Amino acid sequence: MSKIDSEEIQKRMARISEMFSEMVSHAETVSQTRCPYRDRHDLCTAEFRCRNQKPPAAEGERHPCGHDGNFDYRSAWESQPLAHGRAKKKVKEIREGAARRRSESRRKKAD
Amino acid sequence: MAELSDIGNEFIRQEIEEYLERPEEIERNIELFARVRPAMQAIAAALIEGEDGEVDRLTKLALADGIEALEIMDDGLIAGMGIVGIKFREAMIFVPEVLACARAMKAGMKYIEPILSDSGVEPIAKVLMGTVKGDLHDIGKNLCIMMLRGSGFEVVDLGVDTSEDEFIDAIEEHKATILGMSALLTTTMPNMGKTIEALIDADVRDDVFVMVGGAPVTQEFADDMGADGYGKDALSCVSLAKKLAAQTA
Repeated sequence: MSKIDSEEIQKRMARISEMFSEMVSHAETVSQTRCPYRDRHDLCTAEFRCRNQKPPAAEGERHPCGHDGNFDYRSAWESQPLAHGRAKKKVKEIREGAARRRSESRRKKAD
Repeated sequence: MAELSDIGNEFIRQEIEEYLERPEEIERNIELFARVRPAMQAIAAALIEGEDGEVDRLTKLALADGIEALEIMDDGLIAGMGIVGIKFREAMIFVPEVLACARAMKAGMKYIEPILSDSGVEPIAKVLMGTVKGDLHDIGKNLCIMMLRGSGFEVVDLGVDTSEDEFIDAIEEHKATILGMSALLTTTMPNMGKTIEALIDADVRDDVFVMVGGAPVTQEFADDMGADGYGKDALSCVSLAKKLAAQTA
């Protein structure tokens, strides 16, 4: 296996990184109105259920996407303040519960 | 000046003819593909089609035939990805197709990476990436993985619906330095905190930096959960991973 000049490799890696950065930025823009799971044939590639999925043409085929593309579908994904509050509370409970468990376990070991 | 007919690969000819509109891009790609050997045109064509198995096979074959790794990168993989970028920009393909092409590129890079490593170019760091338990959304994670790989990280994709035990096993198995967790749902987001606590219980928390991201996640949540960093999108995920990797060096 022949060795390559590492500077030459870095140039290629920088090029790949630049290409991907452009694509990711563009994906961000496109995804404001078009679901990122919707492919070029307007079929849904998601592995989860979505209310925009229409019945597939045949069993086992992908669901056509029924979203009209006229509004930012992400508003449906964004969390509600209440849900955020609940999640925040749950995180706190998880951390406090884990800390309590650890402290009890340390105390038992010491006993 | 090269002509379209100078390109031997029919698929590449069609791609240029059908999808490229800007004169300077048409000219540049005709010049490029007209001078590259057929084996590289075939790799580029397979990559544009998102056929990872074919890119895998052709790259392996090209290296076995003595073609240099840099030539495969330049004339096959990067050249093909250039067309993918244009098609995406012009709304002829979308995120799922781009991700398929990125997977195809990874299939080719798999054979190039040992050569890069032999030449002293090592991955920046090894990163584990997974969507947390109960969450099946993977586009954000997959875009992050694409960006991380393209920026020189080695990435192990743990997929979606990843349990705490799977994260722990992966840390132990792969000896990664960074763990990335993503969640798209407010209801599954607390599972990131749960996983971090499980890492502490399994005594592996100090083995990795934990970065988190996903639509409902914020810096505040990341801090609450005890994560080491938060990335709001794929680009900031890479900056964050670089920052964290620098701390291990």
